[in-house]
Amino acid sequence: MTSPVTFPDWRGQSLDGVITACRELLEDDTYPTVRRWREAGGTVAGHFQVYFPEEIAHAAGMLPFKVRGGPVEPTQADSRFGSYLCSIVKTSLELVLSRRVELELFVTHPICDAARNLAAVWGRNFPYPCQILYLPQNANSAHAADYLRGEYDRLRRTVEAVSGRAVTDEALRASLAVFNTNRSLLRALYALKRDAPWLVAADEAYALMAVGGLIPREEHNALLSAALPQLRERDVRRHDRVRVVFEGGFCEQPPLDLLRAIARSCYVVDDDLLIGLRWILEDIPLTGDPLHNLAHAYLEQSSYSPVQHDLRKPKEEMLLHRIQAAGAQAAIVTAAKMCEPGLEEQVTYTHALEAHGVPFFVSEFEENMTSFETLEIQLETFVENLLFD
Amino acid sequence: MAYAAGVDVGSTQTKAVLVDEGRRIVARALTMTGANVIRAAEEAFQEALRGGDVREEEVEYVVGTGYGRYKVTFGNTQVTEISCHGRGAVHMFPATRTVVDMGGQDTKAIRVSPVGEIVDFCMNDKCAAGTGRFLGAASSALDIPLDQLGPTALRGQKPVKISTTCTVFAESEVLSWLGKGKKIEDILLGVHQSIAGRSTGLLRRVGLEEEITFTGGVARNVAMIETLQESLGLRVNVSEESHYMGALGAALFALDHILAARHPIRQDA
Amino acid sequence: MPATVDGTIVGRGNADGARLFREWFAGLTAAAEAGRGSAYVFVMGSLAELLRTFDFPIVFPEINSLQTAVRRVAHEYLNEAEDHGYSPDICGYVKADVATQMRGGQLPMGRIPKPSIAVYTNACNTYIKWAEIWERMYKVPVVTIDVPGTRAAGAQTWPGDPDFENDRAYVLAQLRELIPTLERVSGVRFDIDRLREAMGHANTMNTMWQRVLELNAARPSVFNALSDGTIYLGVANGFRGAPEGARYFTELVEELAYKSAHGIGTLTDERYRLLFIGVPCYPIFRRFTEMFTELGGTFVGSTYLRFASGGANLGLTYDLDHPLESLAEGLLIGVRDAMDNMFFQTDILIRMLDELGADGLVYHPIKSCRTVSTGLADNRRALLAARDVPSLFIESDMMDRRVVSEAQLKNRIDAFFEGLASRRAQAAIRTG
Repeated sequence: MTSPVTFPDWRGQSLDGVITACRELLEDDTYPTVRRWREAGGTVAGHFQVYFPEEIAHAAGMLPFKVRGGPVEPTQADSRFGSYLCSIVKTSLELVLSRRVELELFVTHPICDAARNLAAVWGRNFPYPCQILYLPQNANSAHAADYLRGEYDRLRRTVEAVSGRAVTDEALRASLAVFNTNRSLLRALYALKRDAPWLVAADEAYALMAVGGLIPREEHNALLSAALPQLRERDVRRHDRVRVVFEGGFCEQPPLDLLRAIARSCYVVDDDLLIGLRWILEDIPLTGDPLHNLAHAYLEQSSYSPVQHDLRKPKEEMLLHRIQAAGAQAAIVTAAKMCEPGLEEQVTYTHALEAHGVPFFVSEFEENMTSFETLEIQLETFVENLLFD
Repeated sequence: MAYAAGVDVGSTQTKAVLVDEGRRIVARALTMTGANVIRAAEEAFQEALRGGDVREEEVEYVVGTGYGRYKVTFGNTQVTEISCHGRGAVHMFPATRTVVDMGGQDTKAIRVSPVGEIVDFCMNDKCAAGTGRFLGAASSALDIPLDQLGPTALRGQKPVKISTTCTVFAESEVLSWLGKGKKIEDILLGVHQSIAGRSTGLLRRVGLEEEITFTGGVARNVAMIETLQESLGLRVNVSEESHYMGALGAALFALDHILAARHPIRQDA
Repeated sequence: MPATVDGTIVGRGNADGARLFREWFAGLTAAAEAGRGSAYVFVMGSLAELLRTFDFPIVFPEINSLQTAVRRVAHEYLNEAEDHGYSPDICGYVKADVATQMRGGQLPMGRIPKPSIAVYTNACNTYIKWAEIWERMYKVPVVTIDVPGTRAAGAQTWPGDPDFENDRAYVLAQLRELIPTLERVSGVRFDIDRLREAMGHANTMNTMWQRVLELNAARPSVFNALSDGTIYLGVANGFRGAPEGARYFTELVEELAYKSAHGIGTLTDERYRLLFIGVPCYPIFRRFTEMFTELGGTFVGSTYLRFASGGANLGLTYDLDHPLESLAEGLLIGVRDAMDNMFFQTDILIRMLDELGADGLVYHPIKSCRTVSTGLADNRRALLAARDVPSLFIESDMMDRRVVSEAQLKNRIDAFFEGLASRRAQAAIRTG
């Protein structure tokens, strides 16, 4: 199969046209890019939040599709679950129950127990492999990297069985190169957000980044490579907005409209939105054992989140560091409704921020909420207080 | 001729139904439950007797149902409203396999077997968002009488999307839509769709199987019937007796007892 | 049936269980008063066998928290934690413990010492977040023993399989890394013979526990998995690896075997044998069980007795010639099985239905626990598709009185029994 162009809509467009195309793709609940991939004979590996070693699926010629909820009503999925559950788990299952998206493989991770349960629910409803990739929660064991390499090897075997293609070391290295490029481009985008936030609004940067989870990485690389120089040349007036870090978007995603609402009064100079796409912080070496390098990078060259336990990376210290490194004045500390790890971390975050005298705004969100009036008013009040301090 | 009675003591209303040996409804009565639940049950029963011109001694068995079923002190036994709504629905529409009962306080989805046995049930009583209460909240927010909600909603062309999950905030959401210039009929249609959507969720949980019968007080609301059918993509049966379905089911259970006493069947203990 | 029932044996397990629990708490209170530290552990993957050998008093915060609910004071603790910033939607056990810590360890049953170390697995992801709270509160070491679980339904691997060996090597390495930390914190040198001894007691407990679960196939059943079961679980966890634990379960088997041989059951009239899936409703614990027993229903088994048994669920016997390796293997298989009972339990339930001759199932998802509750609705669908068996689905909580509505629960439970009765009547008519 020759890789189809799944997302032609942005090509030849002005910068604003590119951003609009990305936004529309994100809001399109028919998932046209995945459909086009399949129509050309391609297979799809769905992976849940937060981080998944996409290179392994990519090396087998599969499309890694980031499963992270969506703009859908969980009419069928709702009856599979009880109440008191985060929305992302339900809308994610809804995508496949409603056949908007079809997969050959589904992988979830032990980020939390709702996510682990998802493997069981998914597996009871679909005939293809639905499994948990047991990423280590004891990153501090000297044996963790070896263990993870073995676990990645197990995943490789699954991917080979599903795709019918061998995943050679050579193929893996080629995939690592593609994803290294992607991560490097995303780092460049985030550097721009930090250094010249007036050039790209929070929701625009988000759109440009998030489509990466829906399309072949090669296409995403082309898109970002085209967009970045244009962003740098953008003729936008610099406003006097508060510089903030947005924390809480590591799994369930806030609605674009919420980001837009925040962008009206703040420059979001750093965040953890879809951190899984940006989990690895440096290029993964292309020499040597690629699976080992992937495993090593997960543990040693990675960002942080409330769902990865590592004694070297206490989350509150990582957040304070992020705020400082981004030159932010305040933090917006959010959690998705019913998100156990997120809600627990919120308490730790807020106590630490308070102790260090960093202003913060606390909120909860749900991926498909449509009314933000109360939130906007509170946020505006918060920002006003900062500006008049 | 012997009579059987069912008394359904709900949180706001108490209903009583009398049936004769031929399973015909002879009388029905409705009172407001109020603070004195025992008295409400008695009053409803007495009113039904008067309405059917039946003497109390002629009623051989009484079954209490509803949340206040244990307060039907003159009753012979209690049966849950889940079983009663199932039984009543199958009596009115023998091909019923799924019942959706929307009362003032909760919504129930009940799956029944061909003989009226309860196979499974699912209730939304954690919050009032998918129940008749939501309509009550909309009614007071818009200052429109309850019985006009349905006809008004049916005039809606562009229903709004109601997103709040809490009835308490429903009022402010409804007013906020008004403030944005939306028409009352569009808002009301949105409210009905929201309730229909939640009920559909309950029905899916319990397993949708045709025919579906819609019971409870809210079943008299024409917009509710229509939005529910649209949401399900299926027709629903609605009986004239929808409001009394619980009491009817209870009366039928009472009649079972009367007939069993005359012709005992050997039963495994 | 003998003319007299041996009064010393029937009821002994419940009485001894209560006594042991009091003794355990008296010990903890003494340790707290003396300013000693302790090891904080969890029910799934407690490693009590190992920790005992370092003389740590052992604290089970989950058990402490559920006791606040049983003793009707949980709401005070929950409110305190929520005032401190914790969301109403997170695990009630965590919140009750946070409040306990803020009260200097004060509980209705006594006082618990502070942790000097926390050792836990990832059997429940909340354990990890919970330990992070202690880490910040007390600046003590918190050690995650990561136990990779089953990857997909029916895909358990076993010794010899390369994937199992990959998992086992990881667990063993972590245990080896743990020991120097335990030595440093406790000041006690690791003694492998003491570990053997503790594991020997655990072996007895594991074997006896299997017998206990099997004995309930008797008609009438000899214990109620919900009410009596909770007492047994308290001892299974609190005394894991201890001689008292071994003795308790040996005697419990004796009592239950006696009851079985003499037809002594739990109810005057056992009409329906039920399985319970989930964690009990502790805020109205006694009443909850009564709502079933009143109508002749008893619980012959529960998944709770499997995933919360502290490692005894599979009746594994450790190889005392290779204690550390065996401990790692046992931990891997035991904790994995606990997780399977929560995520991949369809086949397990079908087996339980048959082995225990159950007439129906009661699913009890709880608000605070996504670990146990997330997949229950779907599991029920799958089970009902495989087996035509009556089931009830009732939601409440194991800690938070605010979301437990007795009237609503009773309504559903009554309807369920009405269904059971009419189903039985219909069956009789068909065969009659």
